[in-house]
Amino acid sequence: MNYAIETEGLTKIFRKRWSGKEFRAVDGISLRVDRGTTFGLLGPNGAGKTTFVKMLLSASHPSAGRARIFGKNSRDPEARRPIGYLTENHRFPTYMTAQGMLDFYGALSGMEAGLRKKRIPELLERVGLADWMTVRLGKYSKGMLQRVGLAQALMHSPDLLVLDEPSDGVDPVGRRQIRDILQALEEQGVTIFLNSHLLVEVELFCRDVAIIQRGKVALEGSVRDLTAGSGYKVEAENVPEMLQAELRTRARATSQENGVLRLMFGSREDANMALDLLRAQHCEIEAMTRTNSTLEEVFMRTVDPPPLTAAAVPASAMKETANVG
Amino acid sequence: MSANKYLIATMALIRDTFREAFARKIFWGFFGCSTALILFFIFIMRIDVVQGAVATMTIFGKEAHPNQNVNLLVRQVHGGIAAFLYTAGMFLAVFASAGLIPTIFEPGRIELLLSKPVKRYHILLGRYIGNLLVVGFNVFYLVLAIYLIFGIKTGVWNTNFVMSAFMTMFMFAVLLTVVLLIGVLVESAAVAIMVTFALMLISPILAQKSTIERLLSAEWSRDILRGLYYALPKFFDGGRILRELVIGGPIESWMPIWSTALFGIVILSAGLYSFARRDF
Repeated sequence: MNYAIETEGLTKIFRKRWSGKEFRAVDGISLRVDRGTTFGLLGPNGAGKTTFVKMLLSASHPSAGRARIFGKNSRDPEARRPIGYLTENHRFPTYMTAQGMLDFYGALSGMEAGLRKKRIPELLERVGLADWMTVRLGKYSKGMLQRVGLAQALMHSPDLLVLDEPSDGVDPVGRRQIRDILQALEEQGVTIFLNSHLLVEVELFCRDVAIIQRGKVALEGSVRDLTAGSGYKVEAENVPEMLQAELRTRARATSQENGVLRLMFGSREDANMALDLLRAQHCEIEAMTRTNSTLEEVFMRTVDPPPLTAAAVPASAMKETANVG
Repeated sequence: MSANKYLIATMALIRDTFREAFARKIFWGFFGCSTALILFFIFIMRIDVVQGAVATMTIFGKEAHPNQNVNLLVRQVHGGIAAFLYTAGMFLAVFASAGLIPTIFEPGRIELLLSKPVKRYHILLGRYIGNLLVVGFNVFYLVLAIYLIFGIKTGVWNTNFVMSAFMTMFMFAVLLTVVLLIGVLVESAAVAIMVTFALMLISPILAQKSTIERLLSAEWSRDILRGLYYALPKFFDGGRILRELVIGGPIESWMPIWSTALFGIVILSAGLYSFARRDF
């Protein structure tokens, strides 16, 4: 039971009823999420993320392969007992109050009435909705619903949190609040599995990520490793137009601002070649630095391969990034 | 899952169904209609009891003579009321509560329910039982109140009339399995209502099986008719049995009851099986 989540060849095939045409939404995903870690699942729309999560929770049945939650087969209801889940596009019954909703889902998780009664005000206080405890959910804003949804996921003190777009619709203050809650949970040893489109959020929060595309794992690893040392940035002034044109064909991306030409190269060899050419033309070299990628860049490279020759890229897009893994 | 946790989850599912029925005014709608009927019966009957015998009684404008068998009259009136509640109440109950089951399949709601450590059949049965109790509470409230009103005013305590509540609930429980199955398969309250109403409306036609059989020339068409009669719930026959029960008449055959129960068990099992197999 070393893994919070373990999947082996997890596959989901949808078949059209009449034509029998197959669509592999999830195609043999084998993934391991360590206990107590923070894991981000990334992928473009339609990549199979939600189907994967649904199979983990047994809302959808795998066509092949298996999933284990803390060593238990995910199809066993007991495997879901340590899971707290916040679904994307949730539709909480609007006739419920926050108190009623937490009580209901807590009871479904097998919590005793006394424990539920004690836990509800604590949790609502934690997500900043203590004053809204007896207000019907129909009167809540989207951000408030998201926060009460998080409280619902935390109701039975889960060991594994599966969160689908947890900060969707939440204002920056609320987003920070959610992140603080999640960080506190991480410190307590709760495993957090995050499915989010907010790559910055994932980069800030998750230790490991997997990027899936067309139902398969396209890239997997720690955020630190994936974003480390991705290339070299060369900055130079007074670069003749002929040389600029030549360098643009070799660089991964270029930009120009206030007379400074910025060139991004994928390898040290290319960067050195550029330096040689610039020196030969007596250009003034401002800097050469090793750059880290943002997770967004890693993501874009993984799911959508860059063109061979990049057009001019805004300078802001080329800023050096800190490794925040 | 331990028995205690099982019970906690079941109670939560039932409570949730009640909460939704309250919020959608379904419960209060039933309760209001039942109360209105009870008030109607309180004020429609004028009765004077002299030395334990009914001197004058007016029910639905008909005056009973002092020498008339009051017991028989009350039983007949009970029979009429029970048949009315059985028929009109059933249409109302199916129409009003059909939405309570498909709502749990709404995207964004069902995933959350399924993520809990509860078996799928448990979720659906919890909702089904909750729905039965919402209707059952009002049926028993109405029947017991009418039983008391008649008992107090006439001194005739026809306990068979109370049986009509059980019979009505039995038939509702069977018809609700159809709502449940259709809800699981197509997630539409409207389609569930249509199919259930169709079964109720076809029932009196199929009940005339022996007459219709004489009109059919081909043996296969007679077989189809018989097959439909025995396979589908016998809502009409159930009503006849109910009336006989209430007035104390003879019951010719219990076949309509057990075959309807069998239908309910098969459809409920099909609904639970389909729900267990479905992807959300």
